[in-house]
Amino acid sequence: MCTGRMDPAVMADAFVHGLDGLLVLGCLFGECHYVTGNFNASHKVNMTKEMLAYAGMNPGRLSFRNLSSAEADVFVKHVTDFSKEIRDLGPLGGEADKFPLPKLKEKLEIARISLAGPKLRWVVGKKPVFIETGNKYHEIFTEHEINRTLSGIVIDEMATHSILAALQKKPASVKELAKDLEIPPPETLKYVLGLKRRGFLELESVQDHSPLYKYVEQEA
Amino acid sequence: MEEELRIGVFVCKCGSNIAGALDVEGLAEYASTLPDVVYAPWNLYTCADAGLDEIKKGIKEHNLNRVVVASCSPRTHEPLFRSVCEEAGMNPYLFEMVNIRDQCSWVHQDKSLAESSMAKARDLIRMGAAKAALLKPQEIIVSGVEVKALVIGGGIAGLTAAISLGNRGFPVILLEKEKELGGMLRSLYKLAPMDADASEVINAKIKEAEDHPNIEIYTGATIEKVEGFIGKFDVTFSANGTSKDVRLGVVIIATGAGNLVPEGMYGYDGEKVITQWELEERFKAGKVDANNVVIIQCVGARSPERQYCSRICCAIGIKNAILIKEMNPEAKVHILYRDLMMYGVENEDQLRKAKELGVRFVKYDPKQPPVVEENKVTVFHQLMGTELEIPQDMVVLSTPLVGTEDGVKVGNLFRAGLDKNKFFLEAHVKLRPLDCGTDGIFICGSAHYPKDVRESIMQALGAASRASIPLSQGEVKIEPIVTCLVDKDACRGCGLCVALCPYNALEITTTDEGRKVNVITVACKGCGVCAATCYRHALTINSFTDDQMEAQIHSFMAA
Amino acid sequence: MRKKARYVNEDLCTGCGACAEKCPTTVANEYELGLGKRKAIYKFYAQGIPSVFCIDPNSCRTFQGKKCGVCEKVCQAKAIDYKQEDKILELNVGAIILSTGYDLFDATRIPEYGYGKLPNVVNAMEFERLLSASGPTEGHVERLSDIRDHHLINTTEKKLKKSTKSLENYEKKHKMSSDDFYKQFTAGNISDGDEFPKWAKQYENVQEGTKKLEELKAKAEKFDIATRLAFIQCVGSRDFRFNKYCSSYCCMHSLKEAMMAKDHDARTEAYIFNMDLRTVGKGFEEYKVRGAEQIGLHYIRGRVAEITQDENENPIVWYEETTSQTTKHMTVDLAILAVACEAPKGIEKMAEMLGADLDENRFFKTDPLNPLDTTVPGIYVCGCAQRPMDIPESVAQASSAACRAAEVVAGG
Repeated sequence: MCTGRMDPAVMADAFVHGLDGLLVLGCLFGECHYVTGNFNASHKVNMTKEMLAYAGMNPGRLSFRNLSSAEADVFVKHVTDFSKEIRDLGPLGGEADKFPLPKLKEKLEIARISLAGPKLRWVVGKKPVFIETGNKYHEIFTEHEINRTLSGIVIDEMATHSILAALQKKPASVKELAKDLEIPPPETLKYVLGLKRRGFLELESVQDHSPLYKYVEQEA
Repeated sequence: MEEELRIGVFVCKCGSNIAGALDVEGLAEYASTLPDVVYAPWNLYTCADAGLDEIKKGIKEHNLNRVVVASCSPRTHEPLFRSVCEEAGMNPYLFEMVNIRDQCSWVHQDKSLAESSMAKARDLIRMGAAKAALLKPQEIIVSGVEVKALVIGGGIAGLTAAISLGNRGFPVILLEKEKELGGMLRSLYKLAPMDADASEVINAKIKEAEDHPNIEIYTGATIEKVEGFIGKFDVTFSANGTSKDVRLGVVIIATGAGNLVPEGMYGYDGEKVITQWELEERFKAGKVDANNVVIIQCVGARSPERQYCSRICCAIGIKNAILIKEMNPEAKVHILYRDLMMYGVENEDQLRKAKELGVRFVKYDPKQPPVVEENKVTVFHQLMGTELEIPQDMVVLSTPLVGTEDGVKVGNLFRAGLDKNKFFLEAHVKLRPLDCGTDGIFICGSAHYPKDVRESIMQALGAASRASIPLSQGEVKIEPIVTCLVDKDACRGCGLCVALCPYNALEITTTDEGRKVNVITVACKGCGVCAATCYRHALTINSFTDDQMEAQIHSFMAA
Repeated sequence: MRKKARYVNEDLCTGCGACAEKCPTTVANEYELGLGKRKAIYKFYAQGIPSVFCIDPNSCRTFQGKKCGVCEKVCQAKAIDYKQEDKILELNVGAIILSTGYDLFDATRIPEYGYGKLPNVVNAMEFERLLSASGPTEGHVERLSDIRDHHLINTTEKKLKKSTKSLENYEKKHKMSSDDFYKQFTAGNISDGDEFPKWAKQYENVQEGTKKLEELKAKAEKFDIATRLAFIQCVGSRDFRFNKYCSSYCCMHSLKEAMMAKDHDARTEAYIFNMDLRTVGKGFEEYKVRGAEQIGLHYIRGRVAEITQDENENPIVWYEETTSQTTKHMTVDLAILAVACEAPKGIEKMAEMLGADLDENRFFKTDPLNPLDTTVPGIYVCGCAQRPMDIPESVAQASSAACRAAEVVAGG
């Protein structure tokens, strides 16, 4: 097995369960035992890091570093450095993170759901292909362009899945959602309408002139 | 109904290796308190006969259906413990190993931190047991091998490989794109250092291959389609107007290299300024009668556009200088060089011979390259610090061997990688120089990198040797720790995983239920990139599934 | 065939290393080329296969007739067997592959390079050990004279401790401080008693040792990683006095070592003295260019004439820079000799036993068109037993030799 097996959702799951720091150590670039696995791993770790940071976790808690299996001293250095960095950050949900614990874990769970979902996985999976050989029309993208796309999806996914999670608990209006989730109302409206169009939500009732939306159970 | 879990944990003292830093008896006691663990003894050496017997006895007497050994490294001992479990009637893939030595007792020797080391060992054992609970039995994967080899390229390398495999009794199909066999040697004159006639050498090889009962030869051949994997490559090729389908177990690529034509360099015109290859042809035709010959090395090589050193050009330049001197001792021969790459034993002898015969060597600086003019070459002699004017009636340019478009085509068909110079990539530069990254495909000759005849023969025999392994075994056996399509319904045949697989072990096939991914298990190395990528969570890796890994994480966090 | 006794039962030994930990005898480690230490019961190197220990009877106390047996006591696997004997095996085989490797050229044969006399002139293999993270210096490239002085400090400290202790004993016994005693003794006030001259001698030792230690320590404070490195190519190769052939792989290992040293310490300035830098393998030329343009290695075309040293034991390399036609010299911290690849000792005996011919360079003789076949049918050769070659070529050749042998053994 290779660091390329590091699944973004599994990494997020560890933090949801209270992990304080995760160090992923891969082969040196260009010397991967599994040819290109470490590149895939670094793409996935970076994406996961961005998502979790957006959810409120200190990004220093997740790190990808390289070494060769013959470099015992480098291994010791990485592990010593990283454990010191994590000790300095303190336990998950402390001052280093944006939110205290119960809230942070809820946010991280939303992030985990997003990381297990199709959008981010699709784009990060296509990243090496798009950078090296291009898309169907042989348009080659720079790493910067793909990362920008990923950043946009991170924001969308976090918002979408937060709305879905909130509505799974109880129906709510756009105004209420916007207030609870701290998303600007026009943005919230855009996401809600999008989700409604795709059949995730439906109108429940109208209260005080504002429509209430509820979650629609999805078939597998 | 699921059978009841009965996990056995065997904790090893490894003499003082583990017991010196950890309280092994305490660990065994701790292990016995873990969920589903019914038996947890400790051993002095679990890997010694007594320890192994204890595992077997434990499986029988305690009805164990999962075994965890907490000891040393799976790199050295996992196969042993697995086979012991199998002997005792348990599926070997229901075994899990925990390393409490290499990354625990060995690195935490500080007695004052003993409690932390123990806590770490307990974490590791707890995680191992949690994973063991979710292990599923696996079977070794066996796939048949078609006992037939394909050799692509009928030059010295391809012929040598084909003959060697033929001699071992394996049927071989040899494809050559040209009308005639022989490759590059057909256009050469003499071979250094043995002064052999190139045509004689290659003709003898051609005859041997043609007369060989095990070798089927097709000239004028083009490969059209390739499918399959090691043991079962299905290849369609056409030769002289007819198309043919064959199934082959292994493939040897010996497509050779091309010669760089130095258009626009040093006044190259193919008349008075020629390449070494044109000189060889003139030798063959007996048409060399120059009195003032200037040979320029590294023409189009070791330059910004073609950085590599073509390895053999210095030897060729010097060999031809010697030939000219031997034919016409009065001739003045100058070799303008940058470094003399006369590596090895015979090459160094050749260099000395050339000097004895009076060949002049002039070192030039690529920043001040020689200038070829009508009847003379002007060059700055780096070691004398002066500019020389050398009269010439023939200039010979030593150009590098270059990768070919045909090579690229073959590479694409077989999904064998090439480097930026269009030479085939080996699986490991030092340790697997004859294998391609894709299993069952081997490389030899100048298709891999420029080589002289001796090296090509040597490499061809080596590639034949590597190729003969699956042929003589008749089957490939694979550890079942590979990718597996656990949820066929979930798969939408998007192909995201196919593009990322470094081993070409995934393919999209059309089934009754639509486009689905198919795992070529014999080609899979179990890296898991596909499983980490699949957005439908349809793929996983046996013995490294998401739920097994999450169980380990949850169990770790539950301390 | 003689299988040498290892005095450890291979089937029982688990490679745990408890024996080596407790073994009282320490000798120079051949694998570290004498730069490190090992015990009398040892593994040649950590990754060796099989991973079991063996006893060196030439240094083991038990074999030297002294009382010991410590390893037998500590071995919980009961693998120690002092009575094991060499075994003579008779094998009946269809083909033989010779892969007997090579020896390093003994650089003391070139007296002008000072190898063996000047402490900071090493051969490339020794330098590899210095670079290795698992080597004697944990990968810090130190001058050998510094390593020697560190060692000297340790031994002097130990000796001094012993002497100081015996002084203390005298002081207790005679209730007098050593300083007072010595003053009185040298003044002739104390003379009788044969213990007193010994005491005086010991006192002198301590004074002298302390002074020496202080000097050494002051010197050691200035020690630093060796950052000025001279790599000397073609030591014993391309040299009519010794081997006229080119050893093929030395240019690349010097480049690699220079790169690694630079990687370990960015202050490193590495100079490679060469006749030609023969970078003929795949990616090698690119590596060389990268070394010069991006890493900042210096390639100097010229053969080194002589190596001397300055008062700090730093080697001075005397050479002609052929590209500027000038003779120059340069002071460095370490000079590394890229020694030739030579046919190993004993190859003549083996050749005679097999009836195979050697070539003029003492390698097994082959024909370029049958590069694996020796002059005896059924006997094949690969690797540096045939000629100097690098790792990929050796690995490829090993497969080729196996192919030739298989043609004989597996039939056809």
